Amino acid sequence: MEIKVKVNGTAHSLDVPDNTLLVDVLRERLGLTGTHVGCDTSQCGACVVHLDGTAVKSCTVLAGQADGAEVTTIEGIGRPDDLHPMQAAFRENHALQCGFCTPGMIMSAIDMVQKSDGRLDEAAVRDGLEGNLCRCTGYHNIVKAVLAAQDRM
Amino acid sequence: MEQSGEYRIAGSRERVWEALNDPAVLERCIDGCRSMTPVGDDRFEAVVAARVGPVKATFTAAIKLRDVDPPERYRLEVQVKGGVAGFAKGTAAVELAEVAADETLLTYQIAGGIGGKLAQIGSRLVDSAARKMTASFFERFAVDFAA
Amino acid sequence: MATETGIGASVKRKEDARFITGAGRYTDDVGQHGQTYAVFARSPYARARLNGLDTSAALATDGVVAVFTGADLQASEVGDLPCGWMVKSKDGSDMVQPPHPPLAVSSVNYVGEPYAVVIGETLDAAKNGAEALDPDFEELEAVVDLATAAGADQIHESVPNNQCYDWELGDKAATDAAFAQAHHVASIDIVNNRLIPNAIEPRAALGEYDEASGTYTLHTTSQNPHLERLVLAAFVNIAPEARLRVISPDVGGGFGSKIFVYAEETAVIWAAGQLRRPVKWRAERSESFLADAHGRDHVTHAELAVAQDGRFLGLRVQNKANMGAYLSTFASSVPTYLYGTLMAGQYKTPAIYVEVQSLFTNTAPVDAYRGAGRPEATYIVERLVETAAREMGIDPAELRRRNFIQPADFPYETPVALTYDTGDYEASLNRALDHADYAGFQARREASEQAGKKRGIGFSCYIEACGLAPSQVAISLGAGVGLFEVGEVRVDVTGSVTVVTGSHSHGQSHETTFAQIISDKLGVPFENVTVLHGDTGRSDYALGTYGSRSLAVGGSAIIKATDKIIAKGKKIAAHMLEANEDQVEFEDGSFNVADSNQSLTFGEVAFSAYVPANYPLEDLEPGLSEKAFYDPPNFTYPAGAHICEVEVDPDTGVVTIEKFVAVDDFGHVINPMIVEGQVHGGLAQGIGQALLEHGVYDDTGQLLSGSYMDYTMPRADDLPSFTVDTTVTPCTHNPLGVKGCGEAGAIGSTAAVMNAVTDALGVKDVPMPATSETVWRALRNGGNG
Repeated sequence: MEIKVKVNGTAHSLDVPDNTLLVDVLRERLGLTGTHVGCDTSQCGACVVHLDGTAVKSCTVLAGQADGAEVTTIEGIGRPDDLHPMQAAFRENHALQCGFCTPGMIMSAIDMVQKSDGRLDEAAVRDGLEGNLCRCTGYHNIVKAVLAAQDRM
Repeated sequence: MEQSGEYRIAGSRERVWEALNDPAVLERCIDGCRSMTPVGDDRFEAVVAARVGPVKATFTAAIKLRDVDPPERYRLEVQVKGGVAGFAKGTAAVELAEVAADETLLTYQIAGGIGGKLAQIGSRLVDSAARKMTASFFERFAVDFAA
Repeated sequence: MATETGIGASVKRKEDARFITGAGRYTDDVGQHGQTYAVFARSPYARARLNGLDTSAALATDGVVAVFTGADLQASEVGDLPCGWMVKSKDGSDMVQPPHPPLAVSSVNYVGEPYAVVIGETLDAAKNGAEALDPDFEELEAVVDLATAAGADQIHESVPNNQCYDWELGDKAATDAAFAQAHHVASIDIVNNRLIPNAIEPRAALGEYDEASGTYTLHTTSQNPHLERLVLAAFVNIAPEARLRVISPDVGGGFGSKIFVYAEETAVIWAAGQLRRPVKWRAERSESFLADAHGRDHVTHAELAVAQDGRFLGLRVQNKANMGAYLSTFASSVPTYLYGTLMAGQYKTPAIYVEVQSLFTNTAPVDAYRGAGRPEATYIVERLVETAAREMGIDPAELRRRNFIQPADFPYETPVALTYDTGDYEASLNRALDHADYAGFQARREASEQAGKKRGIGFSCYIEACGLAPSQVAISLGAGVGLFEVGEVRVDVTGSVTVVTGSHSHGQSHETTFAQIISDKLGVPFENVTVLHGDTGRSDYALGTYGSRSLAVGGSAIIKATDKIIAKGKKIAAHMLEANEDQVEFEDGSFNVADSNQSLTFGEVAFSAYVPANYPLEDLEPGLSEKAFYDPPNFTYPAGAHICEVEVDPDTGVVTIEKFVAVDDFGHVINPMIVEGQVHGGLAQGIGQALLEHGVYDDTGQLLSGSYMDYTMPRADDLPSFTVDTTVTPCTHNPLGVKGCGEAGAIGSTAAVMNAVTDALGVKDVPMPATSETVWRALRNGGNG
């Protein structure tokens, strides 16, 4: 099938098999390998991207579902010299170690902060990160980073 | 996985027995059955599309009839190879008792197990899936038989 | 030199720039032109004969390039996967090692064991091909239960009683005599639950063969690419090391599970050679559950003999360790040399005797997982000590104090073959008690009771042994490899520095920590130091990352190389400044002549080494690049005190961690921020073992906890924020005085949590994981879930 999708601000027109997953379009077709596959079953959250501004697990979204949509990936939110506040907070708070879960974690965290009404507390952040697995950090510094970033977003 | 139960069917034991040995009847009554082909006297090969939790696949089942004692009892041995989805195996002991001239009591005992990806992903779900399939079979069988 | 980027500073990580922008490069991100895709066919049976395998339909499937079976690999003389540590039984006999072909040939012995690989033009084609394989399995009775495995059906023809070895350590007679003197004997029967490592990056491999040079290149998710290359060259017979390059790019967590050499990358690199095309494989998570080496899985009976005054007199341990179906790369060493040797803990127990029977079962191979043997040992010792304290009515902190090895006792030789160099256990415990407000616990407990809840507190004073060493001792005890590390410091022409280390970083932050060391030692700006790792094409033979050894061993190698740089720099500076070499001192990045104002910057000396205009070429080679191998004289011994406080809801059985305090002694700390992060992660895994995680097989050997729906990974809302602190007794035998921090969190925490849970419930034991159901049942049954 033919899909038109805007990824990180760039419009793409792609011909893909019907059963293609969004994550495979991003990684294999567009070379955006910052979005990771950790579990194939939408349990780990390493593949989270924004689809029209909402966090989704791109390993369980069909490419066809993104037809006509805007997708933002980790590559699209900030550059090394101009980081998104959430990226900066992850670095400042040592909220990542191996880095594999990090893109999904950051994309989920941004969505959580953007959708919160009022200031998130620790319990709310922990609750909001429930769909993202990290095996390195014990979440301690991730929670700190999200709490720190929300004041700057 | 084990389950058992009984059904009362309006019909003579001989007629019920015949129906239970008729591949066409079985094909109609097994949920998702695409074909039921006799291969030899006491064997069938069935192709069934089934779903256990998130695993959905088409399975080929080899069915062997054992301890056949018409029109009273037999045992079905079922081996299912699901390719990369894994396997399932089971036995169903079926007994027919004459309750009245045109009423038969069917009792069954089923024991089985699953393996591979089916067990890895679907073990929590397989009991209920099997129960559902069994119930569906006997419901359809009763309806089919009455028709 | 104390600076914002030197030793002791919480420098932000170099690695982060790429990881937070999506620019990290993991194995699955690497692609090659013309690559094919591999899918492995895996046994659905725990134990079966493979009587035949019809590959014709698979080969006829659209897009399938090739199908390789175990027989194909055997015909091509691909060797078995070896185990790298020969453990001997009590009677002196060698352990029994069953053959472990990368792809099963005539029998399969655990669910998930690969028996064929299908290579396709696309991943879908390969999957369709795998679906079309027609294996003829004859199912056999599986051996699943560890406790009864010795008397069950024999799994491997060559392994009687399914026993790998029956090992012992310590003085049995002395220990029995100690028990005869005991005032009290505390005993426990404990199961150390099987864990599934679950690094978030699944294992992956990309094999390539270059026809022109006859060289193989393997990108793979390995913690130690040189070991991978060694095994593929020397045992599997892919190619000599010189024609085999293994690259571990960014690796998304390992926790031990990526130390080992597995079937998949072995088959992939071999297939790339057969096909003359790149072959790519990435595990799906369900494959990771089935076929990554699992961790722990012990069944243990242990007893502690105590005198009336609370002194420990003796410790006896009888352990059964599950090896799974085959011996993974270092499986045999985990429940022996990394376990029995730790049974003294922090205590002066004079007599210890440990017996370990390792057994095969029809389950996935079991090997090192974060802590590897030391968490299991700590769990025994610390659960026993707590049990003894409760049974004797002695405060658990006080009982530990009475038995601690004291600072004046070091170096301290334990009855189980180790010599601890240094430590101050009471200092860590006291600091932890302060953080935990132990004095206020009773009031908190009463408050909980008034609210209908149960509150408990648990301690764990652990010791571990890191930086496995020295090579000669380990080799004499059966190790098949050396235990040194290599480090290379290349000063560039303009004074920037490239460090090549054999220690692979997959979350540990070597690119930052090692740069801090170099910056500190050479006075080179932190930004100008680049650390390279993970490529056999770049560094000398190295042993890689395991056992919290990177800084203590890998860092020491770098220090040694740096010392050579400084020594050579002094010679160059002496020549340039027309001074005697022994008058030249190096400090804060400058070579100074003593008692003069003459000096040269490090950069000036480096430049001179490469543009040798004013240079003693007749006496000294040009260039400024040095390499060192470092073989440690002893283990390092990180130790600490963990205190956990829990509240249990008796209506639901839910355990909530109210506070977790970890005070650890890692010796000197290079980057406190990074060290704290390592502790946090370890704690999450240790707490995960205690409360959540459990690898479960049913009695036919099917893995029931084979997905994130059934295997409970700790998530953000399962864990508290942690209180983490350190005390310092510097390691006495390495140049940085460091001990290692990677595993401590996972080693100490599990016992602290379970001591707290059992304290809250007022029962002797609850099986791990202490899920709400288990706890709820324990409350009704008075223990034992």
